This record gives sequence, structure tokens and C-alpha cells, in this order.
Amino acid sequence: MTFLSALLAAEPAHEAVKAAAHGAAPAESHGPLGDIIKLFGSFGVDGPHLLVQVINFALLAFVLYKFAIKPALGQLEERIRQAEQLQKDRSAAEAQLASAQKTAEAKLVAASEEATKILVEARNSAKATIEASRAEAQAAQTEVIAKATAAIEADRVKMMNEVRGEVSRLVVETAAKVLEQNLDDSMRGRLNEAAVKQLAR
Amino acid sequence: MSAASVRAEAKRLLAMSLEGGVVSADLVGAVLAALTKSRASHQLRPLLRAYLANIRRELARGEARIEHAGPLATAEADAIAAHFSKLLGRTVRPVARRNDALLAGFRVRVGDDVTDLTASLRLANLAKSLS
Repeated sequence: MTFLSALLAAEPAHEAVKAAAHGAAPAESHGPLGDIIKLFGSFGVDGPHLLVQVINFALLAFVLYKFAIKPALGQLEERIRQAEQLQKDRSAAEAQLASAQKTAEAKLVAASEEATKILVEARNSAKATIEASRAEAQAAQTEVIAKATAAIEADRVKMMNEVRGEVSRLVVETAAKVLEQNLDDSMRGRLNEAAVKQLAR
Repeated sequence: MSAASVRAEAKRLLAMSLEGGVVSADLVGAVLAALTKSRASHQLRPLLRAYLANIRRELARGEARIEHAGPLATAEADAIAAHFSKLLGRTVRPVARRNDALLAGFRVRVGDDVTDLTASLRLANLAKSLS
């Protein structure tokens, strides 16, 4: 309002300037500025109106800038900032995801290696256990065979001794019976005589 | 009396019963008579038992107990006794007994010593060597 009242108050001055321009035109029509004004005047451009329109336009531009463009720019910048934040978050999430994937892959590889190691150890342990059991069984088998062989040999020796003793006993008994049946007193007497001679030697 | 003193007393009584290194029946009778008078009955029994064992052992030392299969002439028995008398340094008299289970030969026991020249011993040794 202040600006409009000032503008209306300046209207007489405008008119005075217009009159001065018309009046002074012949006087200043010789300068380049005068020529330009004259040229604008010949095109119907009114200086004061132009000034008012410029001021109106500036006001409009200011109002538009203040209440429309600036908030819009602010919102746009906010959107851009949000988009950038989103992009940043997305990049961070992607990096985190990549890191997590890498970690997971590393853990997977480590777990796989650990599983392979455990499997190998289990196989080796099982193999060692089997070998130990086999060796133990082999040793037990050898021991059993050795014991059985020794027992068989002992039985064989015992039987041989028993047979030998029995045969010897039979032989001696038979010889004793044969001697008892075949030795008469005369032969025994001669044997006694020989024994006496043997004793005397 | 302890067992040791009984053995010592029996040994002393045995020495008193010998005459010329040979057991004398008269001396033994005298010893027994003296013992029955001087000792109480509870002391007499173990002493008499030890004395009897000593007398038996001494008699066995003076005898050559000959077991023989088949006939054994008296001269052969005397020869055997003479052999042991010479060997042991004391008089040994022969006591012969026939035992045909010995098959042939004879076995002589003088005291604790045994000399076996029988066929049965030879066969027993053969059986041992074969078994």
C-alpha cells in the first residue's frame, strides 16, 4: 500500500517528467539518450508505465520467489536431500549387504573348511580306530592261536609221555613176567653168585 | 624230661648196653632192671621208647639183611656180610630172607644203607629211563 500510494503520489512528477521530456526533447534530441527515448516514445512505450510495470513485476517476482519458488525450492532441496540420503542409505545398505554377504560367504567357506577338516579328522580317527581294533583283534587272534598251539603241544607231549610211560610199564611188566616164568632156581643161583662177585669187586 | 634229654639219656643207655661194640642181652636186661627201679612210670615210657629205637638201630647196624630171589648159599651170604664188615669197619652178620619178587639177585640193608643188585631194580630203572 505504501508503495502504491507513493506511486500515485509520484504520478504528478511523472506527468512533469513526461512534460519535461516532451519539452526538453527538442533540446536533448541531439544526445543518444534523447534519441533512445524518442525512439521508445515513437513505439508507444511510456517510461513511467514501464517503470511501474517493472516495479510490479519485481514485486510479483519477489512475492512469487518468497512464497512460491523459495518453498518449492526448499521442498525440492529437501526432496533432493532425502533422495541423496536415500541413495546414501541405499549405498550403505548395499555395502552392508555386500559386507554381510561377504561375511556370510567367509563364514560359509570357514564352516565348509571346518566341516571338511572335521570330516577328515573323523575319517582319520575312524581309520585309526579301525586299524587299532584290527591290530588288537589280530593280536588277540595270534595270542589265542599261540595259546591253542601251546595247549595242543602240551597235550601232545603229555599224551606222548603217558603213552611212553604206559608202554614202558607194559614192557617192564611183560619182561618181569617173562623173567619170573623163565628163571628157575639154578639160573637165579648163578645170577646171585655173579652178583656176589660183582659186589666183591 | 624234654625230648632232647630223653634222646641223650637213651643214647647213654645204649652205650651202657654194648659189649665189644655189640649189643649184649645181659647188659640190656641189667639196664632195664635198673631203669624200672630208679625212674617213675611217667618218665619211663618215653625213655624206654627211645632206648628201644636205639637198640633196634644198633642191631640193624650189626646185621646185613639180605633179600634174595632164588637160592643163596650160606657161603655167599657170609661173603656178602664179610664185604660189609670190611667196608664199615665193624662186624656184620648176615640175615637172609628169600623174596622171589625181586626176580634175580639180592638186596642188602645194613643200618640205613641199602645196596640193591636185583633184576627188579634194573627193570624199574629201565622203565624210568623209557618214560
